[in-house]
Order: sequence, then structure tokens, then C-alpha cells
Amino acid sequence: MESSSRPPEPVEDEECDYDVKTPLERIRPFGTLHRKQIAFVPASGNPRLGSADTTTTTKSHQDVANIYLSMVLPEDVKPPDASVEMEPAPPVVCDVCKLPMTCLAPEDTPNSQSQDGTPRTATPHENSLAHQLCLPHSHPPSALDRSRMGLNYLSTHGWNPDSRKGLGFDQQGIQYPVKTKVKEDRLGIGMEAPKHQPVKKKETVLDAKKVRKMAEEEKRKAARIRQQLFMRDDLEKYLA
Amino acid sequence: MATKRSSVEEDSSSQDSKRVRMRKGADAEDEKFNPYLAHQYEEASNANGFSSPLDKLERHKTTAEQASKCEDSDLSPWTGQPHSQRYFGILQGRRNLPVQKQRQEFLDMYHRTQILVFVGETGSGKTTQIPQYVLYDELPHLDGKLIACTQPRRVAAMSVAQRVADELDVKLGEEVGYSIRFENKTGPKTLLKYMTDGQLLRESMHDHDMSRYSCIILDEAHERTLATDILMALLKQIASRRKDLKIIVMSATLDAQKFQTYFYNAPLLAVPGRTYPVEIFYTPEPERDYVEAAVRTVLQIHATEPEGDILLFLTGEEEIEDACRRISLEVDDMIRESDAGPMKVYPLYGTLPPAQQQRIFDKAPGPLRQGGRPGRKCVVATNIAETSLTIDGIVYVVDPGFSKQKIYNPRSRVESLLVSPISKASAQQRAGRAGRTRPGKCFRLYTEKAFKKELIEQTYPEILRSNLANTVLELKKLGVEDLVHFDLMDPPAPETMMRALEELNYLACLDDDGELTKLGSLASEFPLDPALAVMLISSPEFYCSNEILSITSLLSVPQIWVRPNNARKRADEMKMQFAHPDGDHLTLLNAYHAFKGAEQNGQDVKQWCHEHFLSFRHLSSADNVRAQLKRIMETHDIELMSTPFQDKDYYTNIRRALVSGFFMQVAMRESSNSKVYKTVKDDQLVMIHPSTVVQSPYDWVVYNEFVLTTKQYVRTVTNIKPEWLLEIAPIYYDIDTFEKGEIKSALTRITEKIRRRQAMKGGR
Repeated sequence: MESSSRPPEPVEDEECDYDVKTPLERIRPFGTLHRKQIAFVPASGNPRLGSADTTTTTKSHQDVANIYLSMVLPEDVKPPDASVEMEPAPPVVCDVCKLPMTCLAPEDTPNSQSQDGTPRTATPHENSLAHQLCLPHSHPPSALDRSRMGLNYLSTHGWNPDSRKGLGFDQQGIQYPVKTKVKEDRLGIGMEAPKHQPVKKKETVLDAKKVRKMAEEEKRKAARIRQQLFMRDDLEKYLA
Repeated sequence: MATKRSSVEEDSSSQDSKRVRMRKGADAEDEKFNPYLAHQYEEASNANGFSSPLDKLERHKTTAEQASKCEDSDLSPWTGQPHSQRYFGILQGRRNLPVQKQRQEFLDMYHRTQILVFVGETGSGKTTQIPQYVLYDELPHLDGKLIACTQPRRVAAMSVAQRVADELDVKLGEEVGYSIRFENKTGPKTLLKYMTDGQLLRESMHDHDMSRYSCIILDEAHERTLATDILMALLKQIASRRKDLKIIVMSATLDAQKFQTYFYNAPLLAVPGRTYPVEIFYTPEPERDYVEAAVRTVLQIHATEPEGDILLFLTGEEEIEDACRRISLEVDDMIRESDAGPMKVYPLYGTLPPAQQQRIFDKAPGPLRQGGRPGRKCVVATNIAETSLTIDGIVYVVDPGFSKQKIYNPRSRVESLLVSPISKASAQQRAGRAGRTRPGKCFRLYTEKAFKKELIEQTYPEILRSNLANTVLELKKLGVEDLVHFDLMDPPAPETMMRALEELNYLACLDDDGELTKLGSLASEFPLDPALAVMLISSPEFYCSNEILSITSLLSVPQIWVRPNNARKRADEMKMQFAHPDGDHLTLLNAYHAFKGAEQNGQDVKQWCHEHFLSFRHLSSADNVRAQLKRIMETHDIELMSTPFQDKDYYTNIRRALVSGFFMQVAMRESSNSKVYKTVKDDQLVMIHPSTVVQSPYDWVVYNEFVLTTKQYVRTVTNIKPEWLLEIAPIYYDIDTFEKGEIKSALTRITEKIRRRQAMKGGR
């Protein structure tokens, strides 16, 4: 939508909105509705979907297959961040957790180690939470009820509930069922559900009596605060 | 067939010739390869009156040129009849399809490999043309082995079969036929058969090698329906046993690599569709209300964009009708105020009557006056319009990014349709719909960032989102022993599999070791859910198999009750005429009996249905389903009987029979006078759906389905007595297996009561 992708241009004569001479495209779309227009932005990068012009399909069919393959293969996953990060001095990467050992203490450099000759104590990196989590450890057993007939069947055919694996030829299947989530609102994709807002919105109809009461309450509160802050006995005495 | 003669291909393996011998017995079938008998052979074809152009072809050695020559001949090579004028008209069009250019390449590849992955975008002509290319190469009239092409949807199977029959200039049901659940339109002459994927799966239960077929084409494999997934796993196994079986997996989307890897790196052939570029737009900010935004976008397009029809994707009937109303109203305003062109708005969803569905193909309206702005049409559709239906003339697509998807939760055992965000693949597919006739535009009602971050890559295949009870039963019947290592493309979660096994175990379809029982084997003969099948099989024990057969059929078709928005009250009154105080199942039965009564009295049944707010279409299809199921029952000697209507136990027996199948779908009232029920064992709090006719529900009810909307409902309920549960399903209602709670204590009380009653009887 070319016209709407730009901010809507102000119509020259606001008053004569319905001038017959104004081309239709210039007239604001919904005469009296005064709705906020939805602005659209064209897709970035490769905005065009679909095959190229059909008139120029003179390429050999092998090419076409290659085009498909190139679309299928994850070539477009360029690692721009990696290349940028790798250029400065390559940090030492831990074998276990695949994280750069940033918290290396100065005495932990390879040289000092060989001088000591003593078995190395745990470095700060090895004590880090990220590293500890990546160490091989046993998982807690699955919570599935062991007496279930279905589990019996699966385990007689070689599935171990504690193995953290799924079904399938290589036990590559999903481990847990797809989650269900009920959607009751009409929020668009990417819109965060407003949290606790409905609670705040508790509006009560106020009548004169309630307003008076509230005003009195406020007054009393203010007086109390004032008294606490300013009405000091010694000051009173002094002033008196 | 004009040339019914022996068949063995030149490169026939010993296995092949054995099969031929088995089929044709002592017939002198090797004559084709005996040069000395060549004269006899010619006589045979002359005796039939004409020599078919197919005679020159050699199986698996044909070329595109040869096939084209056959197609161009004056006589049909398949029927021997002269080609009609219409045939040549269609042929002209077929020659312009994108796949035609690659016919030779396809054949070369087809000859070289057993399994082939074929990618063709919508509009490439793959569904209609590829099976015909195979037909001219397999020459199935030689050995009587069919070519099968599966479709995920019944309607597609029927309409494509009709189209291909026209293209080949044959009658539907003769050389080209289709087979779908409860309907088979094939004959002894059939060579090419379109069928639903589920139907092929059912067939293979009795023919584990699919030996009737020489080539199986799985179309629309990218949709990843449950049946297609199972078929792929089976075919993968069969392919290693039957080297003569050819398999083509056809997909419309670009994720074909997954199929290739799965089928041992099968070769891939890709054909570009006839599509035009589509420009994609996103919103700069997320939208607060996607329906509102969608309506506004449609109006904006109407006001600012040049000619071209609009397709808007929404999730369900209510939303669609609402949007249609609002768009129509606003367009009327626009016409009045800013001289906009007219716009016709059409809804499109599955439950819409076919006549109304057809209206989406109407032409867009013309300008209101000479030289005025051109009119357009706007189709507001569910995701049926995403792949299965193609509407020409669509240039603009509005995509809010949601669809209704079936999801099954094995912990609560609830299968529900929920509004969920679509996948990236789905969004691309939707956008592609705009480029069918000329370059188009797609307006996505979410940000580009949301598209990249929030949408999953692929929609979860159906097998991960379904209750697998039926599937497991089918697999067991298909002889799959090891469900753990069964080579599915996407194996389901272990918990889902366990649930399915347990459900079948409680229904006594599987024994404790997971082996198929006699009952299970019988139940798998019925194209029904296991619970329904078991209920049907055990109904003679309750002397009401006729009635249960009717109820089963009625539950297998969409709702028979019609409730138009403008006549809800009348419709409800009419429904109350059929009401049985004890249950919706019984009410269904009453309505069906009344329908049959009207039919027998010679009334105009259509009119009668209309007056009584019943769907004639669904009642007739229930009638058809009933006839089919009855046939299956008869072949398996399941007795058909009824309790005399005057007997006071007439309805009680039916209710008891319902329990025999649906004892796992029972809910108990939370506390007396409460409206809230709790489902047995799953402990879900539910209410009875307001559509029920039961005025005073009992403390225990059996229900047909669980509906998850803003509230949790059970729909189609019938009153039952808890004693029946203990008596009919003692294993499921073994009190020791229950968790502590109201249901357990209620059951304990009832057991105690029964015990005392029996003791009293014994004492007397």
C-alpha cells in the first residue's frame, strides 16, 4: 500500500473534504469515521515472495531445483555477530560449557600452572553456575506413574522414561506433548497481554454523598500528616 | 480394456511373474515375450476392434513424446471411444500447465528411482497431471495394478477425480474413480484412484503390502495430516519389501528437504508454480484487536488500492460472520460518502452449506455506474482458503496471523480447537494466495519482528496434536508390533502414546501387554473411533443394536440441529418436540426416527427438515453412514435387534449401551444442586452445554464431547446411573485405582449399597 506506507498526507482543504474534484485517492478513506489508519511498512530484505517473472523462466530446470534447495537450506542464517566477535583476541573457550572463560584469574594462566606443579584447584570459571550446570549429572527420574499400562508397554519395547528421550526410530521424537493455551482475547501477535489492568479498572459510580465522604477522608488524612510533621510539642511551646 | 493381455514387463523379477501367475492362473500369459506367438497377440487386439496407441508403449520406458502422441490420437487409448471435442479443448489447457514442460524430466527421474519427492507450488497442475503421467507410464491395464493418489480432504478427492476423468475423457467411476470414507466410486475397470489418505490407510489394514497398487502418490504431504504421516512410515517399510512399488511424495511448500532426508535421500524434482511476486507489508506496531485491525485494513485496501479481490483470514464462524457484517456496513458508508466502488463480502468456513460456499467463486460486482470505481469482492475465510481452495482473482491478502488448531492434551484427555498463532510456513502460504493472477500484496497484521521471533517455523503436524487411540488401533491391526521404534517423521510424545494404549486397554481392544484382542480386531473394522466401535459391537448385549447403530451414525456426522441466528427460539422449540428428558443421545434418536417416519409417509423430506430446523444434508449422510455400518455389522455377524418400544426398558437399555462405550467420558455433579460437574479420573470441572435438552440432569452423566471455549462444557449428554458404571466397566471403575476425593467416596457408597441390596436378596 504505497500511499499508506507513508504517513498520511494532510489533505489540502480540510473543509471541502467531499470536493468532487479531489481524486479519490487523496480523500481520506473513511469520510466521517475518523478512524486511525493502519500504517503498513514493507517487509525488509527480500520483500518479494513467489517465483520470479513467469515470462523469464528460461533457466534450466536443474536451476529451479537449486533455487528451491538454496531456499530450503539454511544459508540465509548468516552469523554476523559471530564474525564480529571473533575478530578481537579469541577468548579461551571452556570445553564443558562452551562459554568463553572470561573470569580467568591472572595466576590461572597456563604458565603459572606449570610452575606450581600441584593439582589445579577449581578455577573461578569452574565454580560458575553456567559451568556447573553443563557438567554431566543425573536427572531426577520422570514423574510418570510407573504402574501405568501404557508405560509398561513402552518400556518393554525399549523406551526408558528416565532417558529424557522421545519415541521414534532414533528416539528423536518430542518428549512432552504440545502445550495447550487458550486464547480468549483478540490481541494481535506480538501484543503483550496487559497485566493486572482489569483489576485497576474497577470504577464505581460516585454520587454526591460518596464524594463528600471521600473529601472528608482526604482532609482528615492531610490533617493527621500535617500534625505528625509540623506539630511538634517543643515548637508549639516555643511559639506559645 | 481394449487390450487385456498378459502383463509382465521385460525386466520382470521372479517375484513379479509369480504374482501374475497367481492372478491369471493357467492363462497363456507369456505370449507377449514369445516372438512365435506374436500373431496371436495381434489377433487379440484386432478382435477388440482397434489397436490402441498404448500397444507401442513399454512399461517404465515411455517418453513424454510417446505419451503426448497417445493423448493426441483420435480414439481414447483407455476406452477405445473417439475423443470428444471438449477433450481437445481441455488438452490444450493442460499443455500450458507448468508441469508439462518437465514431463520428460519427471519420467526420467521416475524410471530411475523408487521414491521420488516432487515439489510443485499450487497452480503447477501437479495434482491432476502427475497421476496421469504415471498412468501413461505404468500402463496399469496390463497387470491390473492401480495407481493411487491420496488427498487429505474428501472434497478434494471427489472434485479432482471428476476433473481428471474429464481430462481423460472417461466416466467418473470407470477408469478414474475415487474412494472416501463411506463412499466408494470405483469399478472393476478403475486404473487411477483418488482417495483420502485415511481411506488408503484403512485399505492397507487388509492388504499390508498394498499389493493392489503399482504406484502410490501422496499428495499435499506438506499438510502432514495424521493419516499421511502414518502412510509415509508404512510406505517406507513396504518399499523395502516391494521393490516394484513406486512412491511419489508431493508437496506444495519448500520444506521438501525434510521429506527427502526421511525417504533415504530420495531425489527431488521441483516445478515452479504459476505465481506472481507478492509484496509483503507489516504493521509497525502490534495490534490491540486483530479483528478490528483486519476490518479496517480491508476497508483501507478498498479505498486506496487498485482493482483486485481481497482475501481475509480469520479463525472461526462467529468471527467471520461478525467481520462480514461490519465490512458490509462500513462499505455502504464509504459508497455514500466517498464514492467508493461496491464490494461483495462472502464468508467461507467448513460448516457453511455448499451452495453458500460456492458463492465465493462469483465474479466481483461491476462499477455502480458508468465510469465509476470498479467493484470488488472480499472473501473472509478460515484456513480452508490457505491450501485447499483456490479463488482466482485474489490480489490482496490480509493475514492477522491466527487460525483455529486442534490440540490434544493427554493429561486431561481433552481434544479442543483453539485459536493459535500460525507458523511461518503458513504465513508464507497465505501470502502466496495473493499472487495467483497477477502481482499482489499481503498485509500482515503484526510486526516483522513478531513474524521472525514469535511464529514457529512449521505448524505442528497433526500427529502431535491428536488423540492417538484410533491410530494406535489401526497400527496394531496393520501389524506394527513395536510402536516405540516405529519410524514416523515426527513421533508423538510418549505420554500421548501411553494414553492411547491405556484407553484401548480399558476398552478391551488391547490386552495388558498391548496385543490386539479379538474385540480390538473387530473394532478396527469399523471406520469409527474405538469407543463408538466398541459400543456398537457390544450393543446386542443390551438388546438395542439397531438404536445404537442409529446413534453412532448420528454422532459421526456434523450436528443435525440447525439454529439460524434469526430464528433461534423457533429452532429450540422445534428441538424440544424431539426431546427426551433423559438425554441428548436419545433426542438425536427421536429426531432420526421422526425423519425416517416422514420419509416413509411420503412427505417432502427436505421441506419437513426445513420446518423442523433439522439439516437434511446431515441427516441423509447419517442415513448413508448407517447403511455402511450396517453392512459391516452384517459381515461380522453382529446381530441387529431392538427392545420392543412398549417395553419400559427401551430407553434404559440404550442408555446402558452408551455406557459400554463411553464409560471414560462420564462426569459427576460436584455437589447437589450445583451446575458444575467433574469428569471422572481427569478431574476437569465442566458445565453441561446450554444446547442440552436435559431439564433435570442426574448426578452422573455420560457425554459425547468436551468443548473448550471460555468455559469448559460437555456436549450431548445423557443421564446414567452410577451402578451401571460399576457393573459394565468394572476395571475402569475399580475403586482402588481412584484418587481420594468425592468421586471415590461416591463410588464407595454405591458399592456398599449394591452389596447390602444383594445381601438382603440373599437373606430372603
